[in-house]
Amino acid sequence: MIELFTALAISALFAIGVFQLLRRNLIRSAMGVAIVSNAINLFLLASGAYRGEVAAYANLAGQTARQPSDALPQALILTAIVIGMGAFAVVLALVYVLSLRYKTSDSDEVKGLRH
Amino acid sequence: MYSQSIVLPLIACAIGALAAGLLTVLPVGRRVSTPLLGWLLAIAPLVAFVLLLVESPNVLAGQTLIWSLDWMPTLGVQATLRLDGLSVLFGLLVSGIGVLVVTYAGYYFKANSAHPAQGDSSDFSAHSDARFFFYILLFMMSMLGLVLAGDVITLFVFWEGTSITSFLLVAYKSKDEAARRGAFRALFITGGGGVALLAGLVFVAALSGSTQFDVILRSGDLLRASELYPVMLALIALGALTKSAQAPAHFWLPGAMSAPAPASAYLHSATMVKAGVYLLARVNPALGQTDLWFWLFSLIGGATMLIGAFVGFKQHDLKALLAYSTVSQLGVLVMLIGQDTEIAFKALVVSILAHALYKSALFLVTGIIDHEAGTRDLRELGGLRRAMPFTFAVALIAGLSMAGLPPLFGFLAKETLLATATHPAVPPIVEVIFPAAAVIAGALVLAQAGLVVLDGFLGQSRSDLHPHEAPWPMWLAPAIPALASLAVGVLPEPEGLATLLAAAATAAWGDKVKVSLALWTGINVPLLLSIVAVSLGVALLAVRQRVRPALDHIAGRLSLGVLYEGALRLIDGMAWLVTRVQSGRLRLYLAIMLISLGAMLIGIGRLALPPLALSVTLLPDAQSLLRIIALVVVTLAALVSVFLRSDLFAILALGVSGLSIAVLMILEPAPDIALVQVVVETLTLVVLVLVLTRLPREQRARAAEFTYRQSRPGLLRDVLIALGSGAVMFAIVSTALLSRPRESQITPFFEQNAKPLTAANDIVGAIVIDFRGFDTLVEIAVFAAAGLSVYTLLRYASRKAGDRDEPAPQPDPTMLPFRGIGNPRSSALVRLVARLILPFSFVLAASHILLGHDRPGDGFTAGVIVSLAVATWYVVYGYEETKCRLPWLRPAALIAAGLGLALLSATLAALINGTFFSPVDFGKLIGVSRWLPAGVYFSTATLYELAIALTVVGSAVLMLDTLGHPRDTDRETEQQMSEIAALREQGVVTLPEETKT
Repeated sequence: MIELFTALAISALFAIGVFQLLRRNLIRSAMGVAIVSNAINLFLLASGAYRGEVAAYANLAGQTARQPSDALPQALILTAIVIGMGAFAVVLALVYVLSLRYKTSDSDEVKGLRH
Repeated sequence: MYSQSIVLPLIACAIGALAAGLLTVLPVGRRVSTPLLGWLLAIAPLVAFVLLLVESPNVLAGQTLIWSLDWMPTLGVQATLRLDGLSVLFGLLVSGIGVLVVTYAGYYFKANSAHPAQGDSSDFSAHSDARFFFYILLFMMSMLGLVLAGDVITLFVFWEGTSITSFLLVAYKSKDEAARRGAFRALFITGGGGVALLAGLVFVAALSGSTQFDVILRSGDLLRASELYPVMLALIALGALTKSAQAPAHFWLPGAMSAPAPASAYLHSATMVKAGVYLLARVNPALGQTDLWFWLFSLIGGATMLIGAFVGFKQHDLKALLAYSTVSQLGVLVMLIGQDTEIAFKALVVSILAHALYKSALFLVTGIIDHEAGTRDLRELGGLRRAMPFTFAVALIAGLSMAGLPPLFGFLAKETLLATATHPAVPPIVEVIFPAAAVIAGALVLAQAGLVVLDGFLGQSRSDLHPHEAPWPMWLAPAIPALASLAVGVLPEPEGLATLLAAAATAAWGDKVKVSLALWTGINVPLLLSIVAVSLGVALLAVRQRVRPALDHIAGRLSLGVLYEGALRLIDGMAWLVTRVQSGRLRLYLAIMLISLGAMLIGIGRLALPPLALSVTLLPDAQSLLRIIALVVVTLAALVSVFLRSDLFAILALGVSGLSIAVLMILEPAPDIALVQVVVETLTLVVLVLVLTRLPREQRARAAEFTYRQSRPGLLRDVLIALGSGAVMFAIVSTALLSRPRESQITPFFEQNAKPLTAANDIVGAIVIDFRGFDTLVEIAVFAAAGLSVYTLLRYASRKAGDRDEPAPQPDPTMLPFRGIGNPRSSALVRLVARLILPFSFVLAASHILLGHDRPGDGFTAGVIVSLAVATWYVVYGYEETKCRLPWLRPAALIAAGLGLALLSATLAALINGTFFSPVDFGKLIGVSRWLPAGVYFSTATLYELAIALTVVGSAVLMLDTLGHPRDTDRETEQQMSEIAALREQGVVTLPEETKT
């Protein structure tokens, strides 16, 4: 039930991100990148194997004998978030450089790349 | 037999190359004169030569010396050196001729700078010569490694090394377009052959079960019986034949003649082009002795022999003539390898040695002629014997050897070749063709040698030339190999040399070969054929004035050269065609990519929706309910951001969506990443808003206008693509989530070992910092690279392209708080708060770093928190003032310190534990851990967290700097800053903010 809901939300988020990516407005495209990467992070998070009851801490798990959450996808997400932030900053810098060079934020007006 | 000392020759060359490399960059290299440099650096090959000589008695006694090093033990790859007869022969040639060439090069380049206007020398500057020595010694090392290699991987590495270094040498006169083209062509062809070779060698290694030649050479029967044998052989042959300039790929060799003369003498006659021959001889015991082997190499070698001899004869450029005669000789060698007879391998080793001796001498002589006479065109040369008696003597001896006349060594080479061609083992179909081809090629090569001597040195002196004799070391260098080819012929048979050649031939044939160096073997068929060849050659020489012009009219395009040019043109054409298809509309590309990806996933990946069992529980438990709410908020906020027309509000909606993801993370419960998500989301928003303020308002308005006035079909298309992507994503995610196993293979390992191995309670932290430390290093490197990319894009590339930043637009009242970085002035209270935020952020960051292994939080969070505090300063105090007040805020230095510290900590661990990035508790080691509070350690993890934080701060601040203040370069900023600081100290100027109050 919750899985289904999560899957729906992730795919909706992904679709929204893709739609934004396809905008002519470069700022919106950049926001689309951020949304898509959020959707992927969420997917990673949801793919954890355990229904966590406590955080993945060695001392907590030992004391309470309750199921800790899956640490592995969390470590992956940690990396993904940081890298995603870096990539997003580069995307934004590109948007800005495009605006300087072509005097526009409309991706359809940026055609000089082919030469 | 295992022997440490066979690695020494290689080390000698490496030291020589290193010394030359240092002299290239150090100022002291400018003060050493070029000849002295040559003498000094010649010590390296000399040492290698002597070391090989010292080793050789063991090898000649029949032993094979082995040295090896565990390289990639998990792949079963050992780096091995192996010294047998064949390796000794080649090794001595490489190092011996190396000594001569390096010494010669010293005077050659000195002569170059003395006659700056002549021939080769047009583009030289005196102090770049150390560079040549660097390249040639590197090449020598690669070549030596190639012939000493005892396993296929080592062989391949050095093989590629020779390709690359020879590229550098051919393109040495890099301002000359012909040199660049020749170098590129040589690299293109030999490099392409190298790829084929690697594949072939991998096949051989896989089939024989080892990369070691010792094993491979013993599994000949297995390899020959394999059905992959033709593939293997073809791949290896492709590598060897391209390297050794065999037809139809021979055309790169004459093109490579744009290299300086010493390099041509060394690479293109004595050593590199023989690498292919060496390789074939090396693998002959394992892959040879089949029909395919015989026909492949006999035919290609024979054809190359004829083409080289024929085309060479009509050349006017001395170097081109010698290049084609080399091609011809390489053809002879390959043809000999194709014959599997004892006499063929005797002929092979004799020819290799004879050719190396006379051809290197002739190439060096050509270099002298070029320099002392100013040209190497035979039509302009003549009568050099008077001005250059010593050089003439050298050329005469070497030329006679090349012509194959007694009593020189070349005679023996030709006799044995003819003996091989008339050997009864030759199949009847070709028993006439082989000798005939050998005779024709012999006659043409004799004529070529005659051309050098007759047209170059004899005949009328030309009044327009003012030749003079070269300095003595320059003619002495070619005199040594020339005299050696005389000595072998005239002196009583040298026992040691015969044994060496026999050992080499034995290694190549795989069975005992006897070599005698007696020139006179009585009157027999080879001798008669030889007489025919000589007569033909002399006749050709006699009528050369009439024949050669006639040959000029015959098209000489018997090569793949046309094909090569064609291939390049085809690539260009394809590129042109592809750019025609490109519309240049990025959105269209994206749409096509997404549609194809979806189609591929569904079509090829057989992606389908999983059976959805809708087990609707009436009342979900509280936690699930919370999650559902958070999910709804995430999705709705993102959706809202699509519809909001104001960019700023859309960004804020995006922030809501991102922060709700943090809520989901807390519900997981995953506190570490929830923290990171919150701070990173905030930083993302800051950066986004920064860029937003940089885009001119009317630009954004126009873009928004277009976006919202999108035509209906266009909108429909985008919605359909988005929905389709969503559906594909749904199939993937629901399959993954509904059918996943509820237990993990990997996680239990981390859970059980986090505490014992790394002393961390925080399992996520343990994974990031200790278990997967290397990944994290790459990650922070990527983050640093992102910061640097932003910087490069905006400061450097942008300036290069002449981008103009418009003057800052008028403040936009709707986004006043973010107007940024500089103006307007904030209130005193805000400034006070901002000032307090920074130390507070330090405390937070420090606690994250110290406690990161025990409690939620880590270096990333710490870094981003500090960056956010700095961002606050930028907003409140403005860029200039922040830079003034926070002198430590130097992004590049912070990044360097962070990455350096990470490597340092990992190295310390490697020194203590023997493993890079393994956990070490320094506190326990030096006994201070009991004074530390609970949960705080002084360990590699602490250092690493600090390193991560430093890198993140550096990179994030770099992004903020460049995006927030993109107009000036760093140096300008620094200058301005120091000027402002100086003026402020004098009280002349106050900061703009201060004047406003």
